[in-house]
Amino acid sequence: MKRKALNWSLGIATPVLLVAAWWAASANSMNTFFPPLSAIMIRFRQLWLFDHFGSDILLSLRNLLLGYAVATVAGVVIGFVTALVPVARWALDPVIHFLRGIPPVALVPIFISLIGFGIEMRVASIALAALFPTLIATVDGIRSVDTTLKDVSSVYRLTRGEKLAQVYLPAAGPQIASGMQVSLQVAFIVMIASEMLGSSEGIGAMTLLAQQSFMIPDMWAGILLLGVIGFGANLVFELLKNRILAWHAGSRRLANS
Amino acid sequence: MTVRNAAAALPRLEVTALSKTYGSGASAKCVIEDLTFTVNTGEVVCIVGPSGVGKTTLLKCLAGLQPVTSGAAAIDGRKIDGPPAEMALVFQDYSRSLMPWLTVRKNIRLPLRHLRLPAAELNQRIDTALEAVGLTHAANQYPWQLSGGMQQRVAIARALAYRPEILIMDEPFASVDAQTRFELEDLCLKIRDDFGMTILVVTHDIDEAVYLSDRVVVLGAKPARVLDVVGIDLPAPRDQISSRALKEFADQRTNVLSMIRKPA
Amino acid sequence: MKTQIKPAAVGALGIAGALLLWQFVATGPMNGSALPTPGHAIAELAALLTTGTFWANLADTILIALGGLAISAVAGVAAGLLIGSFGPVRYATMAVLEFLKPIPPIVVLPLVVLVLGPTAQMSWVLVVIGCALPIVMQTVAGVHDTDPVARDTARSYGMGHAEILLRVTLPGAMPFIGTAMRVAAPAALVVAVVAGLLGGGPGLGQSIYQAQAAGDFPVLYALVLVLGLLGLVFQGATRLAERRLLHWHESYREVVL
Repeated sequence: MKRKALNWSLGIATPVLLVAAWWAASANSMNTFFPPLSAIMIRFRQLWLFDHFGSDILLSLRNLLLGYAVATVAGVVIGFVTALVPVARWALDPVIHFLRGIPPVALVPIFISLIGFGIEMRVASIALAALFPTLIATVDGIRSVDTTLKDVSSVYRLTRGEKLAQVYLPAAGPQIASGMQVSLQVAFIVMIASEMLGSSEGIGAMTLLAQQSFMIPDMWAGILLLGVIGFGANLVFELLKNRILAWHAGSRRLANS
Repeated sequence: MTVRNAAAALPRLEVTALSKTYGSGASAKCVIEDLTFTVNTGEVVCIVGPSGVGKTTLLKCLAGLQPVTSGAAAIDGRKIDGPPAEMALVFQDYSRSLMPWLTVRKNIRLPLRHLRLPAAELNQRIDTALEAVGLTHAANQYPWQLSGGMQQRVAIARALAYRPEILIMDEPFASVDAQTRFELEDLCLKIRDDFGMTILVVTHDIDEAVYLSDRVVVLGAKPARVLDVVGIDLPAPRDQISSRALKEFADQRTNVLSMIRKPA
Repeated sequence: MKTQIKPAAVGALGIAGALLLWQFVATGPMNGSALPTPGHAIAELAALLTTGTFWANLADTILIALGGLAISAVAGVAAGLLIGSFGPVRYATMAVLEFLKPIPPIVVLPLVVLVLGPTAQMSWVLVVIGCALPIVMQTVAGVHDTDPVARDTARSYGMGHAEILLRVTLPGAMPFIGTAMRVAAPAALVVAVVAGLLGGGPGLGQSIYQAQAAGDFPVLYALVLVLGLLGLVFQGATRLAERRLLHWHESYREVVL
């Protein structure tokens, strides 16, 4: 028990200690690229709390969430169709696997060429890029639903809607969730890329602008904020996932014991 | 000594010249060939046979999960063409047949949703089923939190709540320990007595078949054929200790076993 | 055999259908826009294949991706083996790595570009940042999962710590490392392209940026097609490599990611 407490405290203390060390080491820094952490934190507060909160942070987050929502819903729906209709699967598989291999960031210039530099471009890029991980995971999840569960649905004459929503969806849930988590990471990356390539608003755009204008503490403030958002979004996802898929964790724990 | 009343011998499930072949042409594999037998209302009939003879395939055909190649199975004269509404199936692999994301209670409830029952009746059926299998205390647990025997009881409760007229069970007690097996066998008889169900059990355990059945269908050889249908004349109600101690029990057992053991 | 022809045929039809759809959109609703017809894009692709700069850029991208991946693998596995061998170190490090894991390299791209300029070096650093982390974490997980019986047996035979690490722990951790590599390989390509597209590093990423900036849309689409094919090649090669190296262990797959 003592060992566990020690490990826990190591886990919490180490990141804190590292930040403290960074603070101390950079305190009197004259290096242009690595200014004092204190200066960075000052700019962080000035920029994001709450000056550019509405105009840039909320803007970026809104694009992210919108694109992500479209991608995941479309991914699950198309995934269901692809998984359950053999002809659809045979026809779409090659196209899907080709498109998913394109580095997501490369889609941004495509969309810029088609619909310009506006918000639509950003949301569309995010949505298309984030579509594929969820889509592919949904197909995999549904294809690997236990045949016994399918037989149970048939024997008890569940309606088609019940089969899809009450059996297939929860059964494929863990795999769909994994895909959605990757989709979130892809969406985040493309959000930043779409802003850096073609925008003057948004956290990514501001960070790049700061770098180009040699406003280094501002750049660092942007990097830190992006890091916090990336970490935070993933954390929220994990918490939600663990809540909704608690049954899965429980059953696997028992299976492995 | 009571024998099941012959007047009640109304055929419920009739299997006529049932055959099942997988594949076609050169790679065709005939699993079941020309099976004919009948199950009467309120009977417990066990199907026994050597391992791998095709008992599970037969059940899948009867449950409408697979199409038959020739011949037919019929309920009350109506040909089985897909999962019949009056039938429920208890699977051999109980842990895989229960939905791990649902509690015991919700698992039992799942097949009842589309029956559109009033809420009171719905809950009453679930409660009755849980009580019949002795799992009222576990209603809010998840299947994977329960032992193997309890999981199988959940599957049985699910079938019970569905109120089928014909209950088919695929080697239901094969993977539970001996003590639990005896409890579940008695539960099976109790269900037949309380609910008047017609029950068809596939088992490889001859003792179990003799204990449970009114009649035993003996399958033999690959592809499977009906070797004989044996009437079991043991007195009712059956009891694990006294029934199994009867001389007739041993006789019947030997009879069935030798039929299976006989070289094809 | 017959059952294999049908899906392949429908798949080919699917690809043809997608191309026809592209053709229709390019000549119909989006006529005159940036969207070239498939024929135009493919012709452009063929033209590209004759230019020396294209092949130089392709080579750059592949070199950066594979080179960065190789460095990440060697350094990552070595670090993972060491970190995983000492309990307290593992807990301390994993806590920090868990914080960093959800943060993609694009977040620190402005900083790296600032320090190293739009160079190949910058690209290599970004690829290593992107690939080393999952490799380290998976290696640590693999070490943690070492069969204690195997380890004790080795010790009883008088094997030293280093030898045990190399001959018992490392092979045992291979499935974990394999999974990490399977994820890291396509990531390496993606980051290499990002470094070029957003950071100005050499390779196809930069070619895409230039094509888009110059409004050279057929070239842009041709390059994206190339990237799609390259992605397929990477995926296929990774799967092949994994099967070769882990054919004795392919069924055993534990993913910590």
